[in-house]
Amino acid sequence: MSQVGVLRFPGTNCDRDVFEALEAKGRNPEWVWHADQFDSRCFDALFLPGGFSYGDYLRSGALAARAPAMKSVREAADRGVPVLGICNGFQILCEAGLLPGALVRNRGLRFIDDWVSLRLTNPNAAFDRRASAGARARLPIAHADGRFVVSDDDLKRLQDQGQIWWQYEDNPNGAAGDIAGVMNEKKNVAALMPHPERAMYDWMGGTDGEGFFE
Amino acid sequence: MSSKATGQVNRQTPEFKAKLKTYRLNEGEYDMICGLLKRDPNNIEWALFSALWSEHCSYKSSKVHLKKLFNKSARVLESFGENAGVVDLGGGERVAFKIESHNHPSYIEPYQGAATGVGGILRDIFTMGARPIALADYLCFGQPSAHRMTSIVDGVVRGIGGYGNCVGVPTITGQTEFHKSYDGNVLCNAMAVGLFRPGEKVFLSKAKGVGNWVVYVGAKTGRDGVHGASMASESFGADSAAKRPTIQIGDPFFEKLLIESCLEVMKQDLVVAIQDMGAAGLTSSSFEMASKGGVGFKIHLDQVPLRDSSMSPEDVLLSESQERMLLVCEPSKFEALAAVFRKWGLDAARIGEVTAKKTVELHWKGELLTEIDPDILVENAPQYQRPFKVLPPQNRVATRTWAKARANGADAAKCLSLCLQDIRGTSRKFVYRQYDARVGASTARDTSDSVGVVRLKDSKRGLGVVLGCRPHIMRLDARVGGIDAIAYPAFELALKGFETLAVTDCLNFGNPEKENVMSDFVASLDGMNQVCASLEAPIISGNVSFYNETMGQNITPTPSTGLVGLRDDVIGMPESFFTGTDHAVYVLRLPGFVTGGCDQESWNSGSHAIGELDGRVVGDFIRVARKIASAPGVKSTRAIGKFGLVYALARMSFGADIGAVIDTEGLKMIRPELDSTSLFEEHLYEAVIAVDPSRVTDFEDAFSAVRQASPTAELHRVGRTVRGSIEIGALMKVDIESLKKSYNSGWSENFESLA
Repeated sequence: MSQVGVLRFPGTNCDRDVFEALEAKGRNPEWVWHADQFDSRCFDALFLPGGFSYGDYLRSGALAARAPAMKSVREAADRGVPVLGICNGFQILCEAGLLPGALVRNRGLRFIDDWVSLRLTNPNAAFDRRASAGARARLPIAHADGRFVVSDDDLKRLQDQGQIWWQYEDNPNGAAGDIAGVMNEKKNVAALMPHPERAMYDWMGGTDGEGFFE
Repeated sequence: MSSKATGQVNRQTPEFKAKLKTYRLNEGEYDMICGLLKRDPNNIEWALFSALWSEHCSYKSSKVHLKKLFNKSARVLESFGENAGVVDLGGGERVAFKIESHNHPSYIEPYQGAATGVGGILRDIFTMGARPIALADYLCFGQPSAHRMTSIVDGVVRGIGGYGNCVGVPTITGQTEFHKSYDGNVLCNAMAVGLFRPGEKVFLSKAKGVGNWVVYVGAKTGRDGVHGASMASESFGADSAAKRPTIQIGDPFFEKLLIESCLEVMKQDLVVAIQDMGAAGLTSSSFEMASKGGVGFKIHLDQVPLRDSSMSPEDVLLSESQERMLLVCEPSKFEALAAVFRKWGLDAARIGEVTAKKTVELHWKGELLTEIDPDILVENAPQYQRPFKVLPPQNRVATRTWAKARANGADAAKCLSLCLQDIRGTSRKFVYRQYDARVGASTARDTSDSVGVVRLKDSKRGLGVVLGCRPHIMRLDARVGGIDAIAYPAFELALKGFETLAVTDCLNFGNPEKENVMSDFVASLDGMNQVCASLEAPIISGNVSFYNETMGQNITPTPSTGLVGLRDDVIGMPESFFTGTDHAVYVLRLPGFVTGGCDQESWNSGSHAIGELDGRVVGDFIRVARKIASAPGVKSTRAIGKFGLVYALARMSFGADIGAVIDTEGLKMIRPELDSTSLFEEHLYEAVIAVDPSRVTDFEDAFSAVRQASPTAELHRVGRTVRGSIEIGALMKVDIESLKKSYNSGWSENFESLA
């Protein structure tokens, strides 16, 4: 059965939520501890959950991006293993240079907890079963540093190369190009600010997150 | 107890009097100390007594009354005396919960005051072995125009968010009040709920096992918060800003590490006893653990990890540095325990051992500073019977004197719009949007609802959390306010199908040395007790915060409460908004007690009411309400609270832009006066219930089947739901869109810079 690695940094706080979402969808998750390097061939996919790694007292994700486990994540990414970052995981992947751009303090400078509507710009079967561009999803966000920034040239390149994954319908945080999620050029590293693991069942308020864990 | 003085110190010197003042002890207390020690206290003992005999730690003004609290139930596993109360949910699941104040620090330094309030209450929960699964905040601010209020509101909200979001515990409900009595003394009460899953053990603070080690874990000790407990036991004067150095600084990242590491050592069963270092820090934790266990401690204060090597032993004892725990472990298990903490980047330091002789010895660099029976400090603190009067029912008038004011003759729609814009009635989205409501992936209802709900992972049942105490009812009458502090949140729980299991309370009052304050205290506890007994919902934890007084001005007596309820699932709970058109609209009511509602305070100098409220009758009514809420066809439920019927209807219309038509015939059943003012009155208690039109017969039959349990309860069909507007007889017709505008703009109109 395929193994999915779930990274755990000190301060990660959506780790168990992501782990349980994977279990609920019949996947086979396994913990990956931040201080340990691992054999990148052991995993068929890697998840970087949300939280406040190392307290995020420097820039969000900056310290985690330099953790030993991230060396192995980079190897896995180079080998084409799908790597998905959620919220703080997105910030870590940007800080690690595995994804373009950076995530800075929200417009308005406050933490935002809310439900947002998203539009699927470029489908990516490695991470989400939704196949048609323009598909909609409603997911929760909870972040202070969720404003995606990138230079105009790079934004153009992301658009041209189909690297924009999800966009906000009503931009909550000031993100460039309304970007909620991006991919690398090879499309095997992707991340989004919203939390799909918090939209798995009707009682949570919606089920649009399920597809990310199947 | 004999308190014969045996001290030899000359009491007449200015030095002695200054010392009493510094350590916030009075001469009678000094006599007691000498009597117990059979000598004068030495320097370090002055500090110990100052901390542990402070109002904050000893409950010396409230204990005689707290003993009368209703706390009986087969479900209660732990209650007062432990860090938090624990309730059995059945099926192996148990919850620990508690609410606690951090009022004084939050006024002095709002961000850190509020943040460390959250940190402290979380430690009370996970120190028992429960993983925190929910937070709730009860906040009372002054008028928006009051000095510093904008920055206090901003700081408190940021502080709660900054801490709670980072540690990863969802904030699922809250209450935010505004009134001039809090202008100089805001209230910041935080509640935390923790879950023990089946098989997980409850850990207590009772030290055991002679020869076991006393171990310090967590952040290093600094000078922050020295004398914090006694600071919180004093009224504010003009110099409150000078008290800033007694405020602690929080580090939520450190707390997160502490949660994970503590739960891990508990899971591996490496811990004998554990307590967090809260108020009065190492002093209270060590003396309380020894006293409860009936054992002694030998503590080497110089082994405590320090941030600043120049700290004195007194500083070390009284520091309220955050994110620290004291635990007892068997020597053979220390290495395994330390390894877990190391894995999480934390140090575990052995600072002493458990001894057979029941004394706490404090050593400092080879010198024995004191050797003292812990019971003297923990159990023998003075208890005061502060003077109070038994209050008669207040402000009762025979007729509705509030009837002829603002709303009447004026435009009811305009009045409703003003209520929705008023700081007391407007949207709190600014506050709640800053708190993570869904981390943990268990949140079924969040702050946008009247009840916060988390789903229990093992049994899939719903755990409901609601806060209570409505200051406008407290200002009306302390006993009625006490009844309401339990009844209103229990009613809200019942309307979503939850049975109230237990209660935690945070009794925020003014200066207990003033008779009127103490009288309110006694009357409100009496009211709370009545309803708790009737609902069989015991009060299992909490704290008392006295001296909420600034420059002689006391706050509104505010016994805030946190109620925890249970239901079998999280599917099919009634919504708090109208979900479809043509639903039948009912009002469920308990006639008997009516007030002018929150709005009468705006235009009337006082609060008035008619009738008497009986806690037992209210308890019966709440039980019936729970059954009705689970009856066939029920789609939406909401209690009618502040600002009355129209305000409740407006709030119910915002979720799906579906309002209601209340016909004149229906209105006549519940508001026979048929005037605008009656639409804003508050009746204790009423609820709006919307029912699927195809199930009205079943629904009404369900009411008939249970009504004998609350013979005076009434159920009236008053109208139906419609799209886009609210219409009430000939009195009012208004578009939901315009009401929404008022509701969503009120906050920024009051706090321009907080939008």
